[in-house]
Amino acid sequence: MTPSRRTTMQWMMTAALLPLARWSPAGAAGIGGAVPFDTVAPWPAVPAAKAATGYGRDPNLMEPRIVWPLTLDRQQRATIDLLGDMILPPDDVSPGAGKLGVGAFVDEWISAPYPVQRADRERVIGGLGWLDAQSRVLNGQPFVAATVAQRAALLDGLSTAAPVGGMAAPVAFMDTLRKLFVLGFYSLPEGKADMGYIGDQPTQGPYPGPSREALAHLDRVLRDMKLASS
Amino acid sequence: MTGAANPAADAPVDVIIVGSGAAGGMAAFSLTKSGLRCLMLEAGRDYDPQAEVNMFAPESDAPLRGASTPDKPFGYFDATVGGGWQIDGEPYTMRAGSDFRWYRPRMLGGRTNHWGRHVPRLGPYDFKPFSRDGLGVDWPIGYDDVAPFYDRVERMIGVNGGRLELENHPDSPADCLMPPPRPRVPEMLIKATAESLGIPVRAAHTAVLTRDMPDPVAPRSACFNATPCTRGCTIGAMFQTTTSLLPMAKATGRLRTVTDAMVSRITMAAPGKAAGVEYVDRKTGLRHRVTARAVVLAAGTGETTRLLLNSGEDGRGLANTSGELGRNLTDSTGASFRAYIPALADRPRYNEDGIGGQHIYIPFWLYREQKRGELDFARGYHFEIGGRFGVPPAEALPRVWGAKLKQAVRSTSGATIGLTLRGEMIPNKDTFCEIDPAVKDRFGIPVLRFSFRWSQNEINQVAHGRRTAHAVFQRMNGTILDPDLPPEKIMTAGGEIIHELGTARMGSNARNSVVDSYGKTWDVDNLVLMDGAIFASGAHKNPTLTILALALRASERLAARMKTGAFA
Repeated sequence: MTPSRRTTMQWMMTAALLPLARWSPAGAAGIGGAVPFDTVAPWPAVPAAKAATGYGRDPNLMEPRIVWPLTLDRQQRATIDLLGDMILPPDDVSPGAGKLGVGAFVDEWISAPYPVQRADRERVIGGLGWLDAQSRVLNGQPFVAATVAQRAALLDGLSTAAPVGGMAAPVAFMDTLRKLFVLGFYSLPEGKADMGYIGDQPTQGPYPGPSREALAHLDRVLRDMKLASS
Repeated sequence: MTGAANPAADAPVDVIIVGSGAAGGMAAFSLTKSGLRCLMLEAGRDYDPQAEVNMFAPESDAPLRGASTPDKPFGYFDATVGGGWQIDGEPYTMRAGSDFRWYRPRMLGGRTNHWGRHVPRLGPYDFKPFSRDGLGVDWPIGYDDVAPFYDRVERMIGVNGGRLELENHPDSPADCLMPPPRPRVPEMLIKATAESLGIPVRAAHTAVLTRDMPDPVAPRSACFNATPCTRGCTIGAMFQTTTSLLPMAKATGRLRTVTDAMVSRITMAAPGKAAGVEYVDRKTGLRHRVTARAVVLAAGTGETTRLLLNSGEDGRGLANTSGELGRNLTDSTGASFRAYIPALADRPRYNEDGIGGQHIYIPFWLYREQKRGELDFARGYHFEIGGRFGVPPAEALPRVWGAKLKQAVRSTSGATIGLTLRGEMIPNKDTFCEIDPAVKDRFGIPVLRFSFRWSQNEINQVAHGRRTAHAVFQRMNGTILDPDLPPEKIMTAGGEIIHELGTARMGSNARNSVVDSYGKTWDVDNLVLMDGAIFASGAHKNPTLTILALALRASERLAARMKTGAFA
């Protein structure tokens, strides 16, 4: 039975007073609130970006191309590729993001002369410098030369929702890397296949709608939520 | 654009049409079919979807994976070319304290090449808002005057959708709509949840073909359930004037189209009678004058208003006896709400592309409560529904790395849903556009300056919408991903929804309005406005269907007057 509109309004007003269940990332547990390292390396100065122009308001959509010069030197690119294989590692479903070449996308992104990308460039270039400095503080070696366990400890220290002390900029660096590797990886055919994505396939006739299996799942969800299907 | 050749440049012209989007396209279609010879002037460049729409390329082929940039604000492959939120050398300005965004494509077909395709009809209340709540003004026409044109436009452009059977949401006659697509799983969950709270959910009316639409000149195919509509549609499933009304008008042999023609002012033959227009060739900078028996302005709300304000002799603009020109500017309110729904995690995969955008939506449903004074805002809003498989938004992913992150992406793909609010704004005295006395564009044409302010009405409306959206999310045990900010901080800026309307509104007389219900300016007998500028109020319902219906109605009136010898 459909509830009266008045009931709905009352329900909504009550719901609005309840504290919202906000996202508390699983990875933050036990880390937030404390500085993960005894010494935190200072955030390095980032050299100014080279002057560049974008692709303009009327680029050739049939032949897309990147028109700005890239940023990363060989050493930086190697570190980015290593980070890609750590953040999205190879498994039996898909290759690692570094191996797949998503590092080239990260370089393309941070080299673009647009405001969002310029801000990400500050975080990534600064972060690469900081990561090596911090690794030297902790391990006496740059990041790429550290052991697997040492590198993992560094990334763990950057995976928090509530950075304190000098950790705000390094954590923003890690957030940016995660965003870029996820975007770069899962927009490739290998990444779409990893997600089990089905689409981009013209189908004649009416849209077929959800599969039988998908509908069965929805029925279970509705039953668990005590909702009538409609 | 392909099609019949342009008539000769020196052939006589009956009607000059400024603009080639929804209103200009409809005017060209209707007027040429009536036997009138038309000259269409489009400020943007020529554009052929068949040659320029990259329908199938994956986003990974584009720079930055197709992400939004200042050059291509809706993504690299979006159809908009030559313009956007900014146009090089063609600025607009704002009064101090105002934030207004003005979206201007510079291309044949205008915004129809990349528009939202959600085409609800205005209802009886929407035409008589002042009578209902004492705010704003009534339209000089009612729903019954426009309904026959809605019927024809829906059949003409191709609209799919289902029955609504709701207060102030008129249903279409049986033969107007194509069948709607089946809803997707997240949409079905939202429907079950919202309806359990007494909130209706209905099949949206969408300007995408779900059946073939044969035509000897511009045949269009049913949607093949793939590729993003905003890139443009080479099979013609999505309505855009460049694959439909414009080639059909051209095929009559009575339409001449000139692109890169930036109209700078209306020229006069005598007081109360337009001679034609003056335009600047955007490529050469040369000025040209063309004349006709009548002039139709369909340049889009802002450009049409700018053109009138820059014309006339006395500095207050042409057709502005009422003083209403530039006033009563509105946009739709906008806000987006999003949640992660654990119950949708790891759900079975299938193809959710469908016909592109939403298949179902939440229409406004609280008219009785509003009438009883139980709401703290006037007018309505609706929600457009989103939620599909794809790359999860960053906000929905935990701060983890490694195997855990890969697992989180797999699990979260398809488990976030969104409700996007679009609501009605009531005109206020602080929201208008005018000519900037100090700034000109690269052609020497004075530019538009905007003043914009939301009122408490709109702020309360968005706050109510958020409570509604969050109630729906909470009922399905969702985790809300929205920042906890006051409503005025989550609203879009003025103009951002690209529903700007009202700056040359229609009315019952020359003292309270710029045009009559047929778009004819009260002051200049052969000057007719056909775009969103003539709306007397905005409603929360996306305006393009109404723009098309009013343009068809105005075009047939103009043709009838010209056939009886007017403006000989």
